[in-house]
Amino acid sequence: MVAAAVAAAAFASSVILLVALVVLRVARDMRDRRLAARVARWRSALHAAMESPTGSTPPVPAPRDLPVFLRLSNHLQETIRGEASENLSAAMRAMGILPAIHAIVARRGLHDRLVAITALGHLRDATAWGLLAALSRDADAVLSFASARALLRIDAPRALEFLAEAVRREDWSLARLGTALQEAGPDVVTPPMERLLADPAPEGLERLLKLARFAHRERVAKVVRGWLGSSRRPLVILAALNFVEDAADLASVRGAARHADWRVRMAAARALGRIGTQRELALLLGLLDDASWWVRYHAAQSIGALPGVSPRELEAFRARAPSALAAGMLEQVMAERARA
Amino acid sequence: MRAATDILQWLFLAYFIGVNLVYVALNLLAVPTLRRYLAIRPVADLPPVYSGFEPPVSVLVPAYNEEATIVTSVRSLLQLDYPEFEIVVVNDGSRDATLARLREAFGLKPFPEAYWERIPGKPFRAVYTSRLHPGLRVVDKENGGKADALNVGINVSRFPLFCAIDADSILQRDSLRRVVQPFLDDPRTVATGGTVRIANGCTVSAGQLEKVDLPRNPLALLQIVEYLRAFLFGRLGWATLDAVLIISGAFGVFRKDAVVAAGGYRTDTMGEDMELIVRLHRVFRLRGEPYAVHFVPDPICWTEAPETFAVLKSQRIRRQRGLAESLALNGALMGSRHGGAPGHLAYPFFLVFECWGPVIEVAGYAFMAALAATGGISGAAFLAFLALAFSMGFLLSVSALLLEEVSFHLYPRLSHVARLVLAAAAENLGYRQLVTLWRLVGLVRWLRGAKAQWGTMTRRGSWQSG
Repeated sequence: MVAAAVAAAAFASSVILLVALVVLRVARDMRDRRLAARVARWRSALHAAMESPTGSTPPVPAPRDLPVFLRLSNHLQETIRGEASENLSAAMRAMGILPAIHAIVARRGLHDRLVAITALGHLRDATAWGLLAALSRDADAVLSFASARALLRIDAPRALEFLAEAVRREDWSLARLGTALQEAGPDVVTPPMERLLADPAPEGLERLLKLARFAHRERVAKVVRGWLGSSRRPLVILAALNFVEDAADLASVRGAARHADWRVRMAAARALGRIGTQRELALLLGLLDDASWWVRYHAAQSIGALPGVSPRELEAFRARAPSALAAGMLEQVMAERARA
Repeated sequence: MRAATDILQWLFLAYFIGVNLVYVALNLLAVPTLRRYLAIRPVADLPPVYSGFEPPVSVLVPAYNEEATIVTSVRSLLQLDYPEFEIVVVNDGSRDATLARLREAFGLKPFPEAYWERIPGKPFRAVYTSRLHPGLRVVDKENGGKADALNVGINVSRFPLFCAIDADSILQRDSLRRVVQPFLDDPRTVATGGTVRIANGCTVSAGQLEKVDLPRNPLALLQIVEYLRAFLFGRLGWATLDAVLIISGAFGVFRKDAVVAAGGYRTDTMGEDMELIVRLHRVFRLRGEPYAVHFVPDPICWTEAPETFAVLKSQRIRRQRGLAESLALNGALMGSRHGGAPGHLAYPFFLVFECWGPVIEVAGYAFMAALAATGGISGAAFLAFLALAFSMGFLLSVSALLLEEVSFHLYPRLSHVARLVLAAAAENLGYRQLVTLWRLVGLVRWLRGAKAQWGTMTRRGSWQSG
């Protein structure tokens, strides 16, 4: 009896799910058919708007179709820059759909809100600032970051006043932050970056130093290199070593080449290849026997990059190498240099 | 006697209902995760812009007797859309012309690699680099099995993440980008995997999937429903609980230092892919270190399913042995008070339902049939039992089809849906029972112990057009 009852219940549930499956499929097919012609029209109109500032505005979609339209325009906006992007944004603003987009951000589900938030950024809608600023502090990492990115597109200098908060939000990945800062450009990123780096104990220093690459290198390098001598945190030293570009930092770099953390030694070996002279040879040759493969590899690369070290000299170092490890690494690097 | 058979009947019934209820629960758990994943697609699907923070990836391709497909596979991998990656093909002592094909196609020449043996492996004969593609290297080594080939690949690899794939896996151009995303979003990530789909019936050209279709071969069709169940709510359900115990060997990405610290792939198991994941859970849990294993629901890897009973049987026996070995070698995960969801939920589930389940299921069918034959239960009761097995299985498969419909919707025609529904019904009429029997054979062979070796999968490749 129990088996029969459970079987009947399971079968009945299966039938209900099957009906749902068929209904969903039919509804989707009908929707796709209905939208196909409109999407083609929107696409064509968006392309026309992109090419001409005086072109006709695209047809206004019905409210229920607005997210589909915005998703289409978002894709297009992500692949264009400059005048084409300006033209497209102007044409879309002229459609009078901003209030409808605001309404989506305020009310609908996550999918449509993300579409609308991204669109507001592309449209550089300054009237959405308050709405987006509030959302950028939301606990949801995807929603908040999409809002922050839209703010950056609307007014990058104003948005970057909150760079410190952005750096502190560890649920915003460096890759996402980096993409946004890269798009904003070094002219805009550099002033707030300089201010934060000048702080004697900034929060999220390791993340900040990694993001410093999106500022003008020459303007942040000096302050970043300052951390080389003042910090004991391996990841901070590591990031600072990547900014070393002249012999003024040689003493610190030499010290870093003896650091307990192999990542720091590796970065120091690389830095020596950039700024060192043949006076660093002894240190680099010593690193060829390091326990870490990567330290040995970059030491060998740097030896080859030192001014005045010819392929013949590299071969001589290999022949005189004190260990098989060192000789093997020099042989590999020589082969790589010959191939390059 | 009568009381004992009554108790057994109830136990079998409870098991059948219990196992299916757990699957239904996994199904329900998968729904919010899938919903969230689909909701953020407007952001995730935008054209990628790289920031330079994307970790470079070494794609490891272990190859044994793959002369027919290896060149196409490597060409397909070279087209991956990712900022920085290298491809390391490990020729595991192939007895065919795998190495010769690679040398010819990619202009290989010997390279004096400063080999770093972080994980012990069989000796390698030579490392080659490609004149045409600087990011391609081929390692030629003595035969040691797939796990050994992967270990040597890890030793040779240069980048902090490695992607282990099967030589015949078909990836999409954005597969690597999608499966690496969790490493960017969650710094605790040590491993990720994605949904594997069946390529039989699809059109594949030059290693790229061009058109999705269903296979004519009924065995392959049944496996499509099976894969949908396994990935869409099996792994996704466990992912919701942070308790993914399986990343398919066909396509997975790992943090290299974590894998090296854990000892690399074990060469004495048949399920080296699952064993590694269970071991990573055990090692990190027992050390109390933060970590995460993520699952990406996107269908990002396509693979060829067996089309004959002989090959399918061999595959399922190997999988069952691999499962049993993986669990047996990492029992401490369940025993530890730090086991968390992987140790206290997923491990017992896999142990009871996936590993030892075939014993109970086969015994249950045999016992009920014997009772019916000897008059211990009525014919109607036996039919009710069979109806229960059928309807619960059908319910789970239809649930998976529904999830597929609301999510990735890969099979575009209504006729596809009709054929999949028929397959969902048909698989409960003999196929699942047969697979259960093969799994039992795998379990018995594991108990008896036998040496691990490369699986022999007859590649038909009928879907390849170039």
